[in-house]
Amino acid sequence: MSTGAGPGTRAEAGAGRGVGRRAVLGAAAAAGATLAAGCGGGDDGGGEGPRVRKKGEKITLTFWAWVPGIEKPVAMWNERHPEVRVKVEKVSPVDGAQYAKMHAAVKAGNPPDLGQIEYMTVPSFLLGNGLADLTEHGAAEVKDRFTGWQWAQSVFGKSVFAIPQASGPMGLFYREDLFGRWGLEPPATWEEYEETARRVRAEGAYIETFAPTNGYRFAGYAWQAGARWFRAEGDEWTVTVDDAPTRKVVDLWERLVREKLVRTDPDRQNAWYKNLQTGRIAAWLGAGWGDALIVGNAPKTKGAWRVAPLPQWREGDNAHANWGGSTTAVFAKCRYPKDATDFAVWLNSDPRALQALIEGGAGWPAATRGWKPADTEKNRAFFGGQHYSDVFARADRAVDTRWQWGPLMDTFQQRFGDAFTDAVTDRNMSFRKALAQVQRETVTDLKDKGLKVKAG
Amino acid sequence: MAPPNARGPRRTGRTGHTGHADYTGRTGLTRRTGLTHRTGLTHRTGLTHRTGRARHTRSAAGFLLPFGALFLLTFVAPIAYALYESLLKPTRSGPLGLGGTGTAFAGLDNYAHALDDGLFLTGFGRVLLFAVVQIPLMLLLATALALLLDSASARWVGFFRTAYFLPYGVPGVIASILWGFLYVPGISPLVELARGVGADVDFLSQSTVLWSIANIVTWQFTGYNMLVLIAQLKSVPGELYEAARIDGASAWQTARHIKLALIRPALVLTTVFSIIGTIQLFAEPMVLKPLAPAIDSGYTPNLHAYHQAFKSNNQHAAAAEAVLIALVACVLSFGFLRLVGSQRERDR
Repeated sequence: MSTGAGPGTRAEAGAGRGVGRRAVLGAAAAAGATLAAGCGGGDDGGGEGPRVRKKGEKITLTFWAWVPGIEKPVAMWNERHPEVRVKVEKVSPVDGAQYAKMHAAVKAGNPPDLGQIEYMTVPSFLLGNGLADLTEHGAAEVKDRFTGWQWAQSVFGKSVFAIPQASGPMGLFYREDLFGRWGLEPPATWEEYEETARRVRAEGAYIETFAPTNGYRFAGYAWQAGARWFRAEGDEWTVTVDDAPTRKVVDLWERLVREKLVRTDPDRQNAWYKNLQTGRIAAWLGAGWGDALIVGNAPKTKGAWRVAPLPQWREGDNAHANWGGSTTAVFAKCRYPKDATDFAVWLNSDPRALQALIEGGAGWPAATRGWKPADTEKNRAFFGGQHYSDVFARADRAVDTRWQWGPLMDTFQQRFGDAFTDAVTDRNMSFRKALAQVQRETVTDLKDKGLKVKAG
Repeated sequence: MAPPNARGPRRTGRTGHTGHADYTGRTGLTRRTGLTHRTGLTHRTGLTHRTGRARHTRSAAGFLLPFGALFLLTFVAPIAYALYESLLKPTRSGPLGLGGTGTAFAGLDNYAHALDDGLFLTGFGRVLLFAVVQIPLMLLLATALALLLDSASARWVGFFRTAYFLPYGVPGVIASILWGFLYVPGISPLVELARGVGADVDFLSQSTVLWSIANIVTWQFTGYNMLVLIAQLKSVPGELYEAARIDGASAWQTARHIKLALIRPALVLTTVFSIIGTIQLFAEPMVLKPLAPAIDSGYTPNLHAYHQAFKSNNQHAAAAEAVLIALVACVLSFGFLRLVGSQRERDR
């Protein structure tokens, strides 16, 4: 039995193996997967805690990651560290599948040694005591190798739970050729953005898609507008998803959606790529790691793209936000946490590793030294020779660093997707109503997890 | 039954009944003979009755052990574990549970919570609607195909039977990916074609996506159900057809009054399988979800339980939901069996 997706599928139902058993297989979906996973990997010898590697002892660490091109820096590490081999196992980042797999593995007691975990998801792994505290394994000493706010994303209390890898300062990718043909400039404010959207639509194309299932990109919009959704004070969480800056953001997108100036199908899916290729979608509110996506999926549009800063809520402001960004975390069950930490630090701060990561498309490195913004412009020709890293470098410096993620962002992402799917398809469900629903449900979800929480 | 044509059908019916009884009777008899024969053999080998029986018990236990062990491990244990998990809830201290975590007895809280969750209940409503529409449609199609392939004038039977059955060999996930490509606008040739003739179809919208899933399921399982029905048709004794022919029944009458009447057990079986399969609908919406925003995380009950377990990491809540799904599947399946049973009583 495979974990998760197996039990209760239609295929099994039709296979004719007896009614009762199948009905109950569905019932045992959660438990069965856990059991099966437990059987497969239960050779750890039980209660053995972390230990220090003896000199000369050869070990292999498994690393679940999905960054394209991660194999290259790992191979470089393996060449130089024959005693601590790292084995990459690729996991699927589609629709959060990688975290489903990791959560299941943590619950089953057989997680990998290391995992690529995005900033917003780090806290959810702490809830299950899934991650190792790296403070005692030398993480505290390398703090100044990394950008302050990115380092802070994985610090809870006095403990460091992950080594930051990269972030995603946001920017506006747009088709300069089409904009030029239609007599348009990249919008400097959101008001101009709305007007630009209208004019792009008049030309038969769309400026963007508002994908209701993409809560994290939306979080970026809210982040830029000055929202602070989550705060942990002492023992208690404060949830303010439904705050004034976020309302401003949903109002804008509600107008765009209701006027049918933007599409509502998911971004970064085949249909979206097709629309990029044909110019039916002429811009994308993306992030620093997004250039590789356009280059890889719309190769024939080479030279036509440019990058502009995010539109501002007030003219002349310089407010910016972040979308995505990963860490390298060590799971609590790892038996050699010191070696795993050494690898995580090396991977994300060694100059040669950084170059390899950038080449693969890992994003905007969290390391403060060992690279320069221009290194990220591997695809300059694709962007008409523009020094587009300048845009992201400026955005990165202006990101509001007080932002904090909540403890259950996977659930939040679902709540957001469900509420806004309704809002997009049903006119009676206003965007504000959807936002209030997400706020309400998030508070309940945190409570259900046994956490202290209040609505802000 | 109406008097004018009472003779034909009733007689056929009676013939059918006798034939059926005769058939089962014969099988039973053969089996019994076999058994006596074997016991006789034991006696002849000189073993006393008692040691023979003890040996029987021991060897029976030996044969049952592998089944019993697997049954306990893969059937009883997971249910027991799911039931146990569904009665617990997590406890935490500190803003991230770093101050310690544990579990506490929650009683039926998880069940109450699931039954209070609008999304979860809507999912049930959706699969019920799906069942009411899709199952009759699919079985109608399967029956029609089975009767056609079983009719005397059918040609290329082997080829068509295999061709119709083939989709069943495609795993649900793969089938959903394949159909996904045919549904997504911008890639789908079907959408392009429709646009070519001026129709703007969207297979993945709020109102259509359920029927797009129904299409995948029908495509996959019609052939399978057809095969079950054909197998049952093959077991109809030839004398029945002969009798019908002598009575002057047309091909249509034969199909309507003999074949349909006799494949009833197979139809009941396939319906029950389909009901359970529908309640457990998972792979199709799971695969289409990233393509279709209209599919939310609670689109089907199983999808909801999956998200609870693996996305939100609420194994306890998920266990409760899984138990509820199994209960509904049981109630519906046994409800259907009872309904069919009581109808048969009345027919007699």
